[in-house]
This record gives sequence, C-alpha cells and structure tokens, in this order.
Amino acid sequence: MLRAGSSLGGRRSAPVLVWLLPTVVTVAAAVVAVSLTSTGARAGVVWCGVVGTAAVGIVAAEAARRGRALAALREQHARQESELRYRLARQQTETVRLAEVTLPETVARLQRGEFTEDVLKAYESYDGVVGPEFQAARHAVLRTVLEAVDNEEGLRESAQRAFVNIARRVQAIVHRQAQDLREMEDRHGNDPAVFDDLLRLDHGNALVGRLADSIAVLGGARPGRQWSRAVPLYSVLRGGISRILDYQRVELHPVSEVAVVGPAAEPLIHALAELLDNATRYSPPHTNVHLTAVEVQTGIAIEIEDGGLSLSEEGRGRAERMLRDAQEGIDLNDLGETPRLGLAVVGRLAQEYGFQVSLRPSAYGGVRAVLIVPQELITTAPAVGRAHGIGIAAGSRPGSAAALRSAGGPRPWGAKTVPGVIAESPHRSSAAGGPAAVGEQTPDGLPQRRRHAASSWTGAPEGAGVPRPTPAPVQPGMWLAAFHEGVNGNAPSSGGADHTSEESAGKGEE
Amino acid sequence: MSAADQDWDEDSPERLYVITRGRSGLAERTTFDLVTLIVARSEPTPTMQPEHAAILRICGSPLSVAEISAHLRLPMSVVTVLLADLLAEKRIEARARVPKAILPDHALLEAVIHGLQKL
Repeated sequence: MLRAGSSLGGRRSAPVLVWLLPTVVTVAAAVVAVSLTSTGARAGVVWCGVVGTAAVGIVAAEAARRGRALAALREQHARQESELRYRLARQQTETVRLAEVTLPETVARLQRGEFTEDVLKAYESYDGVVGPEFQAARHAVLRTVLEAVDNEEGLRESAQRAFVNIARRVQAIVHRQAQDLREMEDRHGNDPAVFDDLLRLDHGNALVGRLADSIAVLGGARPGRQWSRAVPLYSVLRGGISRILDYQRVELHPVSEVAVVGPAAEPLIHALAELLDNATRYSPPHTNVHLTAVEVQTGIAIEIEDGGLSLSEEGRGRAERMLRDAQEGIDLNDLGETPRLGLAVVGRLAQEYGFQVSLRPSAYGGVRAVLIVPQELITTAPAVGRAHGIGIAAGSRPGSAAALRSAGGPRPWGAKTVPGVIAESPHRSSAAGGPAAVGEQTPDGLPQRRRHAASSWTGAPEGAGVPRPTPAPVQPGMWLAAFHEGVNGNAPSSGGADHTSEESAGKGEE
Repeated sequence: MSAADQDWDEDSPERLYVITRGRSGLAERTTFDLVTLIVARSEPTPTMQPEHAAILRICGSPLSVAEISAHLRLPMSVVTVLLADLLAEKRIEARARVPKAILPDHALLEAVIHGLQKL
C-alpha cells in the first residue's frame, strides 16, 4: 500500500502539468497575439484567445482526467491480475498435491481398511484463496476416486471370500474323504490289493486337499485344519511329504524330538509340502530329495535339498522376489499368470507365521531351500514320549493314555475310535491298571492277551507295584517249549500265569 | 464348525502311504500271515523310522502279526510292509505258526504219555 500511495503521489504532478501546460501556452499565445495586433482587432483577438484558451483548458482537463482514470484502472487491473495469478498458483500447487500426495495416501489408507468418510474428512482442507468452487471440485474428485477404489476393493474382497469359501468346502469334503479312507484302510488292511487301491485314492485325495489349502491361503485365510495340541516335528515333516505327488522320492533324515505348537503345525506342513513339491518337480525323476531338520539358535532349520539343476543367480532372484511379493499380498487376478503357485503360498505363510525361507544352491547341485521355524513355535515333544507317527503312540499307550485321559487332556494319537467296536475305555483302564482278563479285545476286534513283559515296552508307567520280570532275550523256540509245557499240564515254576494266558491266546489265534 | 475341528484333531497329519513309502504289502504277503510270530533280533536305533523302532520294542517277546497290527493300530498290510523291511535287515525273525498237521493229536500224546508211564 505504501508503494502504491507513493507512486500515486508522484504521478499526480504529471497530469496536472499535462493539462496546465497547453492552457498556459494558449494563454501566452493569446497574450502575444493581443499585444501584436492593432487595437481595432484587439477585441476580436481577445475573444478568440479567451475562447481558445477555454477550449484547450477544457480539453486538457478532460484528457488529464481520463489519463488519471486510466492510470487508476491500470492500477486496479494489475492488482487483480496479481491476485488471480496468486490464486492460480495456489490452485496449481493444490492440484499437484492432490495428484502426487493426497490421492496415493488416501488410496493407501483405504486399502488398509479405513472408511471412505473418515479418510475424506482427514484430507479436507479449506483454503480461502483457491475459491469455493475449486474446493468443491477437489473434494468431488477425491470422493469419486475413493469411492471407485472402495468399490474395487470390495469387489476384490468378495471375490477372495468366494475363493476361500469354495476352498473351504473342498477342504471339508477332502477331509471327510480322508477320514473315510483311513477307516477303509483299517477295514481292508488284510487285503493288499484293495489296500493298494485305497492308498492311491488316499494320496490323490491329499493332493486335492493341498490345492484347496493353497487357494485358501492365497485368499488370505488359514490353511485348512487346526491342531489343538503340539504336533511332533517328525509327523509334521511326514505330513508335508504325504501331500506331494512324488512322495517316494523324499528321503527323510532323522530329526530331533521336538514338536511344533498346534496353531503353526498346519501352515508349516503346507509350506513344507509346497517346497517339497517344487523340489521334486524341478529335479530329475530318479533323484532323491533330502529332507532334514536341525536345531539352530533361532529355532529349527528345515532343509530341503534336491539334485536338480542349480538355480541360476537370476532364477534365484526371481524366486526370492516372488516370495517377497507374496509377503506383501497377492492379487488373485495375477494368479493365472503365476506358474509357481507354491512359492506364493510359501511366501504368504512365511509372512504370517514368521518362517524365514531362503533358496540357495545346494551341495548336491540343485537347490537348497531352508525354512527356519522360529523358536516360539517350537515346544519340546509332548509327554506321550516318542510320539512320532501313528504307531509309536500306540507303543507307549496304556499308561500315558490313561494319565492323559484322567487329566482331561487331549487324546493321544492313534487313539482313533473305530466305528462299530467296543468302547475302548474299559480296555484302557484295565490295560493300565490291574491284571487284565485274557479274553479282552482290542478295538480292532482282535483278542488281546496280557503280555508278561508289558512294562518293558510301556515304559513302565504303572510303576513299582508290579513285579517286573527281568527282560531276557527270548528265543522263539523257548517260547514254544513253554507252550508245550503248558499243553502237558506241566506248569513251570516261574511266570505260570503268563504262560497260561499266552497259551489261551495261542489257542485263540489258531 | 467347532465340532468338525474337534474331529480333525483326532488323527495325525501323515498318511499311511508315507509310512510304507507307497507299498501295499502285496509282495510281502507271501512271507507273513496273521499269525506269523515275530521276535526282535536287535534293539531299535534312533535313526530308524519310528514304526520300525516300535515293532522292535514291542517284539521283545514273540508277537503275531495280528497283534502287532493291533498294538500299533496300523492295518495289517502296513505292518507286513514294515516287517518285510525289518526282515530284510535281519532285525527280526519270523516264524510261521506250527501247521496243525504236524502237531500231534492231543489224545495221541496223552496215550503215548500214559504208555510211557506204564513202562
């Protein structure tokens, strides 16, 4: 304002001069003309001079006024122009900010699951300079984009949900089928031809199950089943093996007796199955794939080595990139273009459960995949003893099973009810407790005798009260000799009861 | 859903074909039948497949194949395959049951005993 004022003051003198000067000149000219002319014509000249002077004065004054008005207008125009320029610049920066900062940020927030209205509110801005119309337009743009993104997200989410839903149904069917197959395997275990077919069906069923699990995982859900108790690592590894096509090529090396906590068991099995599948698929059919697990500082390192082609540095980079991408989330739409579905699944699971997965060249020439299970997902093997596998739980069954049952704990493995068979609890309690009746039956309907050296293989949980026979190496021939003694009614001095029970059992078998 | 989850916990993640490595016991069937008696000839080692180790542990004294199958809760065919493995490594001894024809008749035995006692 100060500058404007001063320039105004400076400029005012010039117009005054402008309209004053012609008037003065005209007055001077008139005076000169009057003085030069004769007295007779003087009156006319004076009149002419006065009129001329007045006309010039008026014109000059008018010109000066107009000049002043013009200057004022120009001044005003300049001010307006600068104001408009300023506003334009603000709008420009605002637009650039909208494109470069606001939109990406809001979209990101929306994708993180915030609500459209909340995000819109957070990014409202009231700048008086840019004008209400611009403000409204900016808001409208933001809203339109966010709503479009929101719709898109919703669509994708519902597509994912549909995927997961279908996968879940398939999983349920596969699981029921697996249970049925296991029962059939038990039922037809005596017929190797049928059993062979059942095993093949079982295997195919497991492959279908893995596919369904993969789809569920990629849809952002957990893989199928849940284990409420810790699963021994050995079982986890074998569970992984049982879900791949070429399971016979996997060579499982002995592993330490630890267990994986229940919630992490299924993801680990699935991740291992996918890694094993990759290993068997991308190595020659006649080579073995080695599966080992060793304890390391941070947990358990599970190594899968194949004898296939070594992964080039580029290929390794691609595979690890895929793992990484998967950890950031997968677009289901891209899956059609991802031939190696497995790595995406592994990446997803690794990110969710804290597994570390790396792919390195193997000493066998192929690829060595290492999956590290963090320490917090590892627990010591459950109290069922060496509860690997289906069989061993049965081996240490009576004592620990009864203990578990009385403690209200989960049933141990292998303690699967077989339909149509006598309740197993009386059998259990008698096996764990006092002398069992000779004629009792296993859930499989087979006669079960009381073994004279029961405590030697049950780990002696039933303890001190029972006198334990010294476990001597028993020859089959000696047992037969005892049998004959029994037949002859010639009861031997030691362990008579046992022998009679064995005798009756032997008769039952025949 | 929760009931189904409970059910799912019952079995183990590994399937039978992994335990037998795909064999169904068709070839091994000739060696063993339900009443073949099995006795361990060696102690289980830590590097063994757990099922093998379990068989060796419970076969400290002779057991029939059917009994092993019941104890391990594994189908007969699986047990046959496992036993064939162990037999090939000479870790167990299998003894076929004594055929009925060879066993002397109980009455005959008694008659012989009586005859001997009368001498």
